[in-house]
Amino acid sequence: MSTEQILSSDGIPLEISLKKAERKNKIKAMLLVAPLFLFILITYLMPIGDMLFRSIDDRMITSKLPNTFAALAKWDGKELPDEATYEAFYKDFYPLAIAKESGKLYQRLNYEKSGFSSGLKKTNRKIKKFEKGNYKEQFMATHKIWNNVEYWVALKNTAPKWSYAKYLKGVDLKLDPDRNIVQMPENRKIYKTLWLRTLKVAFFVTIFCFILSYPIAHLLATLPMKYSNLLMICVLLPFWTSLLVRTSSWMVLLQQQGPINDLIVMLGLTADNARPELMYNVVGTFVAMTQILLPFMVLPLYSVMKTISPSLMRAGKSLGGTPFVAFRKIYFPLTVPGIGAGSLLVFILAVGYYITPALVGGASGSLISNTIAYHMKSSLDWAFASALGAMLLTGVLVIYWLYNKLVGIDNIKLG
Amino acid sequence: MKKLSKLLLALSFVLSVTTSAFAVTVVSWGGAYTESQRLGYGDPTAKKLGIPVNWVDYTGGLSEIKAQKEAGKITWDIIDVYAKDTIIGCDEGIFVEFDFDKDFAPAPDGTKASDDFFTSMPSKCAVGNILYSWNFAYNHDNEVFAKKQPKTMKDFFNTKKFPGKRSIYKGAMSNIEFAMAAMGTKAGKGGSKIYDKLAKDGGVDKAIAKIKALCDDPRGGCVFWEAGAQPPEFLANGEVIMATGWNGRFFNAQMEGTPITQVWDTQILDYEYFAMVKGGPNDANGKAMKVLREMTSTEGLAGSAKYIAYAPWRKSSIAIMEAGEPWFKDGKTVMVPHMPTAPANTKSYALMNPEFWADNQDEIGEKWEAMKATVK
Repeated sequence: MSTEQILSSDGIPLEISLKKAERKNKIKAMLLVAPLFLFILITYLMPIGDMLFRSIDDRMITSKLPNTFAALAKWDGKELPDEATYEAFYKDFYPLAIAKESGKLYQRLNYEKSGFSSGLKKTNRKIKKFEKGNYKEQFMATHKIWNNVEYWVALKNTAPKWSYAKYLKGVDLKLDPDRNIVQMPENRKIYKTLWLRTLKVAFFVTIFCFILSYPIAHLLATLPMKYSNLLMICVLLPFWTSLLVRTSSWMVLLQQQGPINDLIVMLGLTADNARPELMYNVVGTFVAMTQILLPFMVLPLYSVMKTISPSLMRAGKSLGGTPFVAFRKIYFPLTVPGIGAGSLLVFILAVGYYITPALVGGASGSLISNTIAYHMKSSLDWAFASALGAMLLTGVLVIYWLYNKLVGIDNIKLG
Repeated sequence: MKKLSKLLLALSFVLSVTTSAFAVTVVSWGGAYTESQRLGYGDPTAKKLGIPVNWVDYTGGLSEIKAQKEAGKITWDIIDVYAKDTIIGCDEGIFVEFDFDKDFAPAPDGTKASDDFFTSMPSKCAVGNILYSWNFAYNHDNEVFAKKQPKTMKDFFNTKKFPGKRSIYKGAMSNIEFAMAAMGTKAGKGGSKIYDKLAKDGGVDKAIAKIKALCDDPRGGCVFWEAGAQPPEFLANGEVIMATGWNGRFFNAQMEGTPITQVWDTQILDYEYFAMVKGGPNDANGKAMKVLREMTSTEGLAGSAKYIAYAPWRKSSIAIMEAGEPWFKDGKTVMVPHMPTAPANTKSYALMNPEFWADNQDEIGEKWEAMKATVK
């Protein structure tokens, strides 16, 4: 029960000098990690953060048309806006047209409603000759979009600086003039279908991979070294082959005049003129993706099975269990960490798969990532592409979280 | 000796680095097409001007150049783009606006550049290089075509007369125009009637429904193609009996002996353009402009048609070709009849309308994808 502090040899309390020494070590450790941390920050976190940020950033248009949005704020969206609104739009758009800065608006607004692009372009040419006063009439004479309430509604919808509209579009919803969330028209609904299909494909590919991998991994783990090495090479060789090469080989095999179909006809399973379609549909996607993702399931399973002692199964049997009971009660539960790791890997990779479905998937086999690529490359709607990307990322994180809740992440084993 | 070879190696490395640093970078679609450009006008231009020209492949769209611009490090000078991309790129300030008659060479007889090109440009940032065609072709060895052959766009959609699968482009572009024609719409002048009908309420929906009917038909069915090399390949290996595609690819397959025949009824003439990147590495020093002027000269454009069946944009280039037949690189194929602009091929045609597509591509794209998602 001493209240005295323990002092080190130079008279400083031991606790403080210990902390000092520890702090030094901590700084050293931090310095060691710093390059890697900076590397990840600069090349990974910041670009991804920047892309995700784009999905809600709508400041460009807000800053270009301040007067218009101020005027539209009081507008009810039922009939065409009044003269003052048209004048406000003139005040915003005229300087942009003169300074040739109006180009970005065309694209942005055309995403909102088709037809803005040509309408604004024509307005851009004509606005330089507008006379003072009576702007509503002059605008309406310039292009038909200006006598259509729907275009004004679309314009008003872009007013907020930050917008979650892209996320709504990602699940086939949109905002109506009163900013209520409503369903998209039936013939433009695609994203829900695509999401469900992506999940379905990823789920079944995971199941197929599991069914095929389990026996392979078991063989790998139990065969004598000289056979299992050969088998291991058979698993790894395709793993090292380029993804594109493997996908195109599947295209050769699966086509209607290809070897697999030839074999089916030769065996007399179908007539020559009724060859089944194995490619350019969801079947092709399943087959090719399962084969490509197989190693990601085999390897974690193998590494777990390798550690299971064969004596455990023997013990189970000697205690009176049938081989099936021993397998179900002893072997299988011990492989669960490997199954978890493999399934999680395969599922997450499959959800974001892009090249294979694009090549063998056809119309009914293309997935959400193909749509993201379309919006990145073709339509240039990066905001929407990043919104879809963020939704995919969130989905994967949710699955990870669910897995953690159900199985526990410490239960995962990669090797 | 060893030292010398090392020195030479180092020297050649330095040389290659410096030449590529001064070279004008031209970006295009790769494959047989870029090859025709490189041999046809790239190399001759580099030789004549003493400015090296460096070719880079891409898969279209403006995403890469937009990213380069936003990152502040532009490495491309000239890009081979679609019409709608020149419009978008011009609006977004990515490309240089041309002073057409000043920037581009007149024809040999002194005709102004703007009069020598077939039509006007879709934007101020574009200069045309080739015209190509979306048409369709069939494998004439297939027994379906033993008695009768398809002659019109209606035949392409007629699954009673010609049962079998078709291959069509994966996007809505070209397909809805073809569908309109197959429903009996006459092309009109440059396809204006087709685009008028498409622009009307419900026009696009009707066209998309027509395609869906073809794809759902048990006697028909669709395989969607993505790369230009696919349609001739599908025809050759019997995957489909008819396919829409790009005439130059069909032509090259024919030259290689693939048994296919092209049908030109209601072909869609489309253009390729060059655009020059604002603030590109050779923009300020004027080299990129010099190279572009030389490549798009009368002789330059005619040169590429030696290697592929795409028509040069200039009337005067066609004149040179006619005078110099047989023009194809093999020295025996007469080229002009294979051009999409040949009179026999343009009895009924549409001009791809970039304004229509720039305006409507997002909405049509969504409807198209929604249709594809429900095809059986």
